[in-house]
Amino acid sequence: MPLHRILLALAGLGCFASRAWTGGPAPSAEQVRFFETSIRPLLVEHCFKCHGAARQKGDLRLDSREHLLKGGLSGPAVTPGRPEKSLLIKAIHYRDQGLKMPPKGKLSYRQIADLTRWVKSGAAFPANVVTTKKPGDHWAFQPPREPAVPAVKNAQWPRNALDHFVLAQLEAKGLQPAPPADKHTLIRRATFDLTGLPPTPAEVDAFLADTSADAFARVVDRLLASTHYGERWARHWLDVARYADSNGLDENVAFGNAWRYRDYVVTAFNRDKPYDQFLLEQLAGDLLPGDPSTRQERLIATGFLALGPKVLAEGDEKKMELDIIDEQIDTLGRALIGMTLGCARCHDHKFDPISTRDYHGLAGIFTSTRTMENFKRVAKWHEHAIGSEEDRARKAKHDKIVAERKTAIEQLIAKASAKVKAEAKAGKTLPKDIEALFAVETKKEIKQLRDNLAALEKSAPEIPTAMGVADGKVTDVPIFLRGDHLKPGKLARRQVPVVLAGEAPPAFDTKHSGRLELARWLVRPEHPLTARVMVNRIWRWRFGQGIVPTPDNFGLLGEAPVNPPLLDWLARRFIEDKWSMKAMHRRMMLSSTYQMSATDDARAARVDPENRLNWRANVKRLEAEAIRDNLLAVTGTLDRSLGGSLLHVKNRDYLFDHTSKDTTKYDSRRRSLYLPVIRNNVYDVFQLFDFPDPAVANGHRATTTVATQALFFMNSDWVAQLCEEWAGKLLQDAKLDDAGRVERIYRRAYARRPTTQEAAAAQTLVGNVTAVLSRSEANSDRCRRQAWASLCQTVLAANEFVYVQ
Amino acid sequence: MLSRRQMLRSTAVGFGHLALTSLLAEETARAQGSADRPTPGAPHHPPRARRVIFLFMKGGPSHVDTFDYKPLLQRDHGKSYPFPRPRVTFASTGHLLGSPWRFQQHGGSGSWVSSLFPEVARCVDDLCFIHSVHGTNAAHGGALLKLHTGSDNFVRPSVGSWINYGLGSENRNLPGFITLCPTLAHGGVNNWGSAFLPAMYQGTPLGNASVPADQARVRYIRNERRTADVQRLQLDRLLEMNRQHQARATVESSLEARIDSFELAFRMQREMPAAEDISGETPATRRLYGLDDPVTANFGRQCLLARRFAERGVRFVQVTHSDSNVQWDQHGDLRRGHAKNAREVDRPIAGLLRDLKARGLLDDTLVWWGGEFGRTPTVEGGGNDGRDHNPEGFTMWLAGGGVRGGHHHGATDDYGWHAAHDKVHIHDLHATILHLLGLDHERLTYRYAGRDFRLTDVHGEVAHAILR
Repeated sequence: MPLHRILLALAGLGCFASRAWTGGPAPSAEQVRFFETSIRPLLVEHCFKCHGAARQKGDLRLDSREHLLKGGLSGPAVTPGRPEKSLLIKAIHYRDQGLKMPPKGKLSYRQIADLTRWVKSGAAFPANVVTTKKPGDHWAFQPPREPAVPAVKNAQWPRNALDHFVLAQLEAKGLQPAPPADKHTLIRRATFDLTGLPPTPAEVDAFLADTSADAFARVVDRLLASTHYGERWARHWLDVARYADSNGLDENVAFGNAWRYRDYVVTAFNRDKPYDQFLLEQLAGDLLPGDPSTRQERLIATGFLALGPKVLAEGDEKKMELDIIDEQIDTLGRALIGMTLGCARCHDHKFDPISTRDYHGLAGIFTSTRTMENFKRVAKWHEHAIGSEEDRARKAKHDKIVAERKTAIEQLIAKASAKVKAEAKAGKTLPKDIEALFAVETKKEIKQLRDNLAALEKSAPEIPTAMGVADGKVTDVPIFLRGDHLKPGKLARRQVPVVLAGEAPPAFDTKHSGRLELARWLVRPEHPLTARVMVNRIWRWRFGQGIVPTPDNFGLLGEAPVNPPLLDWLARRFIEDKWSMKAMHRRMMLSSTYQMSATDDARAARVDPENRLNWRANVKRLEAEAIRDNLLAVTGTLDRSLGGSLLHVKNRDYLFDHTSKDTTKYDSRRRSLYLPVIRNNVYDVFQLFDFPDPAVANGHRATTTVATQALFFMNSDWVAQLCEEWAGKLLQDAKLDDAGRVERIYRRAYARRPTTQEAAAAQTLVGNVTAVLSRSEANSDRCRRQAWASLCQTVLAANEFVYVQ
Repeated sequence: MLSRRQMLRSTAVGFGHLALTSLLAEETARAQGSADRPTPGAPHHPPRARRVIFLFMKGGPSHVDTFDYKPLLQRDHGKSYPFPRPRVTFASTGHLLGSPWRFQQHGGSGSWVSSLFPEVARCVDDLCFIHSVHGTNAAHGGALLKLHTGSDNFVRPSVGSWINYGLGSENRNLPGFITLCPTLAHGGVNNWGSAFLPAMYQGTPLGNASVPADQARVRYIRNERRTADVQRLQLDRLLEMNRQHQARATVESSLEARIDSFELAFRMQREMPAAEDISGETPATRRLYGLDDPVTANFGRQCLLARRFAERGVRFVQVTHSDSNVQWDQHGDLRRGHAKNAREVDRPIAGLLRDLKARGLLDDTLVWWGGEFGRTPTVEGGGNDGRDHNPEGFTMWLAGGGVRGGHHHGATDDYGWHAAHDKVHIHDLHATILHLLGLDHERLTYRYAGRDFRLTDVHGEVAHAILR
């Protein structure tokens, strides 16, 4: 959003104090930007200490335009538009022996140029946006209200209250919602939405045949009950959790147990784990009680905090630790509450009322948390042992045997040594390696025992482990000035950000890191952000754009909600439904809003070209994973097995170090969710179709259209192979004639039958390709199969295949 | 922006208006960015360079053994380093290690170059040396990311992506950012990724560091299974299907953009192999790049490809010199390692400079040479033949594209450890490169997740002294 729009939005929200500008004409957006990025930080750093609110050396204050114009003992500091007449500019040039400012040293050439440019352009001095308004004023920092369900003119249209909120807004703009989508479109849309897979022809037929009023509700229930639902929605969450199977950054070692967290998320969605519980477990699962299997699950859940990319070869250990904590705070902020908390590491947040004190209050919680085993290059992250009782018993038994054998060897050596010593002549010094003097048989025996021991140690039963965090040494941290760990300032007690704290902020004791308190505070029903951020995410993943169009930023620089009462109403329902995500899906999908068609409307397109108000359904391109899964499903080659790891290297081993040889294989035919996510070298098909960078939380994937994507459909061996297999199966089916084959292709790929014209054109293509191929290919079977594969490929490359209406 | 889009949409009657609609796609991508971004062909200020070729020496070549002559280091070989060492070093190092190579002055500028680079030494009057480059990270991963993206702990767009975002493409049939045989280690794809910038600005890799240059290809550019005439039949049918689909579906610019992307892809799969095919180059040119010598042939081919892409309008071409190891990382075995590495690149680099010059391309092509850091003047560990990483001060050089030839900017201390005079941080270097391309690094911003991002973050000063 351009700055002037932000400013308008701010003004609209009443963010500015009554006098937004301290005198002078209102500055342009560019002037504000320039002032906030180049001038204010400079004044704060070099001038305000002596010429600000606290002190006024020489009776001079420089912290508002009025003060600048009024000046101090020597006269006005600034003459707007006339830098050559301005004392301030004279002072910073250091030319006048009696007037050199700042006294500690001349500013840089650039800073002098900036200040001069600023005075020349009128010395605009916008009031400090953040400090002049009450911090809690921003809409997103107030708890969601319970809005009244608005009345609408077209009472026929709404199916539920959600529709009232959407329609009321449309009607206020004089717009009408698009007509409902046909049943083919609807079932394809819903099936991709909830499972990331296409509907089968049988599912389409069943829905078409079901003429009852709740036919679609039954489809939704069937899809929500499918295990594929968890796979699909887990993947959405994994975007936010910046999930990956390798560290990335400098030392690209395997997160060999990350998949356990991924499978945990799938199960959580499938079992409809309440979202508040889901968050508690991810932030503090290790601190929650539970029976052994629940405990195990909760330890795995804390992988959320551990999965970030880390500079494992950072030579400065303290910096490494603080960078890891920073990453955790940044992810927590973006993912769970839509706040860019990371900005406050070095300075008070420029736009949101988050101070470095707030930041370090959170940093204390994570400093008191153990994420790493050590920070020695190459550093090791912490993992929880999550074995069952049996695993542990087996390991204990094994350890005991190992210990016994070690003792036996030691005893044998001791005995033999004693013998050697006894036999040695007095006064003779024994060699360091006393074993060299042992009898031959004894040596042999010792070697045998040692070999056995080594073999035994090698075969030690492995206790499964999971990446995750535990409580560490509880401590508060100092505020590091400008984020520099070499410049510790005042101690910051652990706390949650003041502006969000609410009436009863959590207390932090000296026995616990405070993660559990932090998590409980986040999922309080009155928390202004947690529920809103999640319902907005669900809306975004479903409709293609959020009610708040910036799902990862609800702060002052995020965009304002398009429909504030709708957002609040959904947030309140979410909490009321005990944070059930499946209930939220039903609520959204059973609305008329969801079931609209994507039909264009010239008038609506003029009023709301981006369809922010939802006057029609958005046409959406499938995401990378769904494109791949769709290709596999339609060609009948999808392996639907669930869970587990496809990573080929051991935990903590290098995916590739210096070699650039990444041997990760992606030839599996399982769902895309299970393919390894290798940071620094994401599977190229995923990269091609806008898979987000798995190093950063991202709730709003981009969709780009570039020629290299077309090249993939045209030229990839993988697509060609799937098409040939599909063609082979179609040709093998003796019950099918050519028309039947075309029909099957269309029903599988597009969930509809071809038109007569399409069916004819398809067969023409097969004929034409056969004619070309037969010039060089004598084998007519092979020719035919290639020709049908060409048709299959064309159908899969078409827009209808990769877009959902 | 929107009205422009609508205008474009309303004038794009029917289909096949490729230029117009791919423009539309770019407009869409650009619309999400900054209001202050220059329009294509009209940068912030008149550019001195139109494109960049970055010759990246992976691992950290030693400046004190190549282009930064330190007489005191030679004199005090074997003594201990008399100044405080950096607070954080990568490994421990011992006494001062004089360069085993002989330095001589070259060219009209009298520039000192060691005997490692005899051919490049003959080009010194075209080179602008920056002896005071410094970075912030002593490990390869962090230093590579810092060098390529300006950030060593966050994923940020690569410098090549920023440049393409800022200037747009000169050739719509080729990617605007190509990286030849890049290393997948130490940041890997993030070093040429577009991060939050639209994907169209990401680098297109040809192979990687473990692939010989003559086998490096863009993915999916070739089709071994279908002949061009079968593909044409498929594409014609595809276009027809997409047209009917759109007529049935709705007005939606991305549908149209995708229709065009297939035609573009069809052209790209013709143009890319043509760009990669060096069979038309004369024997003299091949010799110039060292293709006649197995030692120089691999890197020579990369340099030759860089010229071929540059002359076809690719904005940013990166050539990486790295084998499956960290090529220039001589913690030990410095004499042999650096001699081997320099021998592999010396002739090809000089060949590239001469060829660009002969073709008149050097005037508006900025050639940039360097590694992710330099090396310590002291010997690593207890050995006598290796140097540790040194991000505190090292040398890079630029050539062509508006920089002063035969010029030396900045200096390290007497022994070459710290940048001491006219220091140029990586951020300053980035600012300077953008400046040469007509881009103001403070105005080239992209709004993402509610914040304006820059290549130089909140840093960067243009090194005006090196501009011609």
